Amino acid sequence: MNQPGGSARRGGWLPVIGVTALGGAGARLGLPWILGNAVDALVGTARPTGPAGFSWTTWAVIAVVVAVACDLAGSYAGAASVADTTARLRRRLLRHILDLGPGRARPFAPGDLSTRLTSAAASAAHAGPSLVLLAAAVVPPAGSLVLLAVLDPSLAVAFLAGLGLVALVLRAFTRRTTEAALRYQETQGELAGRLAEALTGARTIAAAGTVDREETRVLRPLAELRRHGVRAWQVLARTSAQGALLGPLVLVAVLAAGGLALVDGRITAGELFAASQYAVQGAGLGGLTGLLGRLARARAGGGRVTEVLAVPPTVHGTRSLPAGPGRLQFLDVTVHGGQTSPPAPGADRSGPVAADSSAGPAPVGSGAPALLNGVGVPALLDRVTLDLPGGAAVAVVGLSGAGKSVLAALAGRLRDPDAGTVLLDGVPLPELPHPALRAAVACAFERPVLVGDTVADAVGMGRPLTHVLAAAHATRAAEFVTRLPRGYGTALAAAPMSGGEAQRLGLARAWHADRLLVLDDATSSLDMVTEMRISRTLTEDHGHRTRLIVTHRVSTAARADLVVWLEAGRVRAVGPHETLWPDADYRAVFPT
Amino acid sequence: MRRELRYAGRSLRRRATWAFLAWSVPEALPAALSGLAVARAVDTGFLAGRPWVGLAWLGGLLAAAGVGALGARQVYLRLGDLVEPFRDDLVRLVVRGALRRGVAGRPDDGAVARLTHQVEIARDTYAGLVVVVRGFVVTAAGAAVGLASTAPVILLLVGPPFLLGLGAFLTTLGVAAGRQRAYVRSDERLSSTAGTVLAGLRDVTGSGGEEYAAALVGGPVGHQATAELALARVGALRTLCFAVGGWGPLLALLAAAPWLVGRGLTAGALLGGLTYVLVGLQPALGALVDGLGGSGLRFVVTLGRILDAAASAEQPARPGPAAGRVAPSEGYPAPTRPGATAGNAPRSAASDRIPRSTGYAIAVRGLTFAYGPHSLPVLRDLRLDVPEGDHLAVVGPSGIGKSTLAGLLCGLLPPDAGTVTAPPTDRRVLIPQEAYLFTGTVGENLRYLRPTAPDALLDAAVAAIGATDLVTRLGGYPGTVTPGALSAGERQLLALVRAYLADAPVVVLDEATCHLDAAAERRAEEAFAARGGTVVVIAHRISSALRARRVLVLDGVTAALGDHDTLLATSPLYRELLGHWHADRSGSPDADGPRQAPPSTRATAVDGAGRTPPAAQTQPAS
Repeated sequence: MNQPGGSARRGGWLPVIGVTALGGAGARLGLPWILGNAVDALVGTARPTGPAGFSWTTWAVIAVVVAVACDLAGSYAGAASVADTTARLRRRLLRHILDLGPGRARPFAPGDLSTRLTSAAASAAHAGPSLVLLAAAVVPPAGSLVLLAVLDPSLAVAFLAGLGLVALVLRAFTRRTTEAALRYQETQGELAGRLAEALTGARTIAAAGTVDREETRVLRPLAELRRHGVRAWQVLARTSAQGALLGPLVLVAVLAAGGLALVDGRITAGELFAASQYAVQGAGLGGLTGLLGRLARARAGGGRVTEVLAVPPTVHGTRSLPAGPGRLQFLDVTVHGGQTSPPAPGADRSGPVAADSSAGPAPVGSGAPALLNGVGVPALLDRVTLDLPGGAAVAVVGLSGAGKSVLAALAGRLRDPDAGTVLLDGVPLPELPHPALRAAVACAFERPVLVGDTVADAVGMGRPLTHVLAAAHATRAAEFVTRLPRGYGTALAAAPMSGGEAQRLGLARAWHADRLLVLDDATSSLDMVTEMRISRTLTEDHGHRTRLIVTHRVSTAARADLVVWLEAGRVRAVGPHETLWPDADYRAVFPT
Repeated sequence: MRRELRYAGRSLRRRATWAFLAWSVPEALPAALSGLAVARAVDTGFLAGRPWVGLAWLGGLLAAAGVGALGARQVYLRLGDLVEPFRDDLVRLVVRGALRRGVAGRPDDGAVARLTHQVEIARDTYAGLVVVVRGFVVTAAGAAVGLASTAPVILLLVGPPFLLGLGAFLTTLGVAAGRQRAYVRSDERLSSTAGTVLAGLRDVTGSGGEEYAAALVGGPVGHQATAELALARVGALRTLCFAVGGWGPLLALLAAAPWLVGRGLTAGALLGGLTYVLVGLQPALGALVDGLGGSGLRFVVTLGRILDAAASAEQPARPGPAAGRVAPSEGYPAPTRPGATAGNAPRSAASDRIPRSTGYAIAVRGLTFAYGPHSLPVLRDLRLDVPEGDHLAVVGPSGIGKSTLAGLLCGLLPPDAGTVTAPPTDRRVLIPQEAYLFTGTVGENLRYLRPTAPDALLDAAVAAIGATDLVTRLGGYPGTVTPGALSAGERQLLALVRAYLADAPVVVLDEATCHLDAAAERRAEEAFAARGGTVVVIAHRISSALRARRVLVLDGVTAALGDHDTLLATSPLYRELLGHWHADRSGSPDADGPRQAPPSTRATAVDGAGRTPPAAQTQPAS
């Protein structure tokens, strides 16, 4: 699998990690042998000097220095590699997601994308270092076992026997703690639920002066939480007692076998010491499981990152936009239901795409497939053709699920149709370069997500402050922004906004569009007076830009120059509101 | 870091701590005996050709391990006695802080996460810290005692480098904690920025803000990498300290060994010394360095954040930036008991002695309020009298400050200037838009403001508000309320019954009926009007104004007060509000659910106009 975490190609850290890991492991393996010889030399049972004529003590110093140096360089290189790779992966993934746009990124939920960018990318970055470290980590335990066997086979046998017992205990531990932890978490969840509940009633509680009572009520499960907590410690106590007994068992087993070998003269006192050290190092086998776990997470993380990167980005063209009033055309535009944008490899397709979506006027909307008689997934828009004059205010109405928002998304090129073309002043939207497209077209939404540190940032998104002020004024956002503690400089987080206020900022954010403004139910939360005032500004707009306004309100439709009436993904009628009003079906579109 | 350590230290219960330490003594036995047993086993056993003596010494070591295991068991049992009360303290601290902040109008989105996530991290790392520190002390002390009894001179050799490394390591902790904090902060910043940008991908694309968004997230990505590297550098420093304290003793012992052997140190004693160093001191220091450098730092940082949040909850209750704006679960500063009067009006300490029937008029003089020193006031120099028994409706465009006025009238917000003379907490009820119910019985919820109310009173209130069907469906008063399972309208209905039942003459309904349909809203409002006492309705629908005796129209700059007919003649904004409501019966923002025309007698005057096709009604009356 293509591991984006493999930083070996760019970062030079991996060789450093590999060399230091092997060097450290080698030094650690050699040290007991050196020390054993040193001891034997000291008590006169071995030659006083080791290889190359250095004293054993000098060799010990060398081994220790190598081990420490390798540790230092290795751990820093590891951290640096992970930090570099993480940042690089995140930048690349973010850029790619932004290039995908909402249409192509649709198979992934926003929260999912966010965790892919944060935690999956960070896990993936561990892939290279983990793989290298894993290879090197086999050396100390395996080497210890081999060296034990070389010193005396009985040592290796005693060691393996002791180790088996320890493994059994550790397995039992995981099982029992999970059980105790579950109860604990349930109680904790109840407590958190009570707090969350009380916090939603903060104003009522404040007004009633009952905060102390609420505190007692929230804390009621605390005693039970403590009981479950104590139980978890009891489980741990039993296992750690077993661990405290079994841990020295490995050492004692090796020492006993070694002692007997010493008596028989098969090994020296120094070698007995070396054997005890190898017993300790060999028990480090457990450390491998941690590395293996990290590698598994890295693989999973890498897979999640690659999945997103594999979706091809939205392509923009190079044609320039000719002068024009903002004429908007839909030519035979079809958008299939389900997830028809390129799905991620491995991601579930939500359903088969109908081979022939023209199989009758299929009902659309949530729950619609139940009504389909097995025809297939209905089209969200079915061969829609519209020619909307430039500079007009065009209302888009229809029952929920009629395809209004899809039409708006196509007009704003938030997604591309599966068939057909959307043109602005005669140019298909995909043929426009990105800057030209976004200067000409902008969208505002029913529930805008405001992005930025401050209110001004959220409106401007990098555009100058004068633009922000003008847009906020035009959309009547200035009225409440100036009442915020720091006006336009107020941090978004410190400015909780009502739906209507957020909508006004969302509108201001899109205000710069000079050819086409797409409003997807973007004024639904405004009170009538404010909406009225904004729409008057829109009408008196000097730019004469086209406005495509998805709405549920009669008054908005009535004010528009033209109404597009959608029904089940098709255009039912186009015309002025007055012309359509006599039709009872048309009137039924508006909620009463 | 000091504050956190002090807090952790203070939280140690004395008895539990002593028991914990006492049981650590047997647990230290194996560590203390290990080198000695090895030395004796080699010297007097295996090297002396007496394997059974050697094996006996090793058997003794195993027996010591058995005693140590008993100690370990008791130690971990005592650990619960130390850790669980600590967690209890933290839970109380978080809950208390969150509730206080909430009622002070500084809602705290992170409180629940703090309770489930951070408190648990603090609990686990606290336990880890206690275990690691104690393990270190026990092992190091055991090894020291063992060394002293094997060959005291070795102790003098290995002691200084060990202590030097330990001391150096401890001095790095302050810096490390700072960097850990910075790292955690950068991580959270990245998560929240990335979360918003990706949740707003549609918005970013729709307004052509890709470059801006890339830069917005790119900043935290870079900061995080920098913070990670800074953390790695301090980690390298730790490795260096460990080299001094962990390997230094070994090298010192080796360097001095020829001299020691020359002075008669036996092979066994040398092995014993090496065992103490390599099996005792070095792993103990290693575990301490890893433990403090890992979970110890996490403990300090996490506890620090919990304590910070708790400390900020204790701050004075002046509304913070934009506190209490029109967010759904907003709150306001807690009133000081018993007086709810704000500003410089005389605080009515004697209010409890005022007879129930009188003394609940509301007087507002020169009231000015803004959410920040640099922001435009929401209310400016407002004068308002709400006499006893009045029925006042407050209308105006959304976000103009109607809810703020409700908070000020109830003394939940202190005015910037002017005075509000309002009845004390127990004489008035405020029901906000988001009805607060808690998981419990219907009776508990309804009696929230009047715990002693008999069933007969409840019956009357339930009937008056029109909640009989709902209460029956929930199983009567002993039935269970699960707030999440009720619709917003049903929650409002129960909250209204609660307010109706309260023994308070002043009721302020702050859009408290917005999720009810028009008929239910009318029934509730009429019930309150018939209940007696004062009713102030912050109107969600203009129809509320048609039922009120008097109407206050707020437009953000001025306020107009009068009855319906007067305002119709004098207030363009009132006419506009009324006109739009008729033009489009979704005349109220965020309204959902079925709506009907207000069947109010007052409304008939304009009802005719309201039925014409909406297209004719689009121009404002002004």
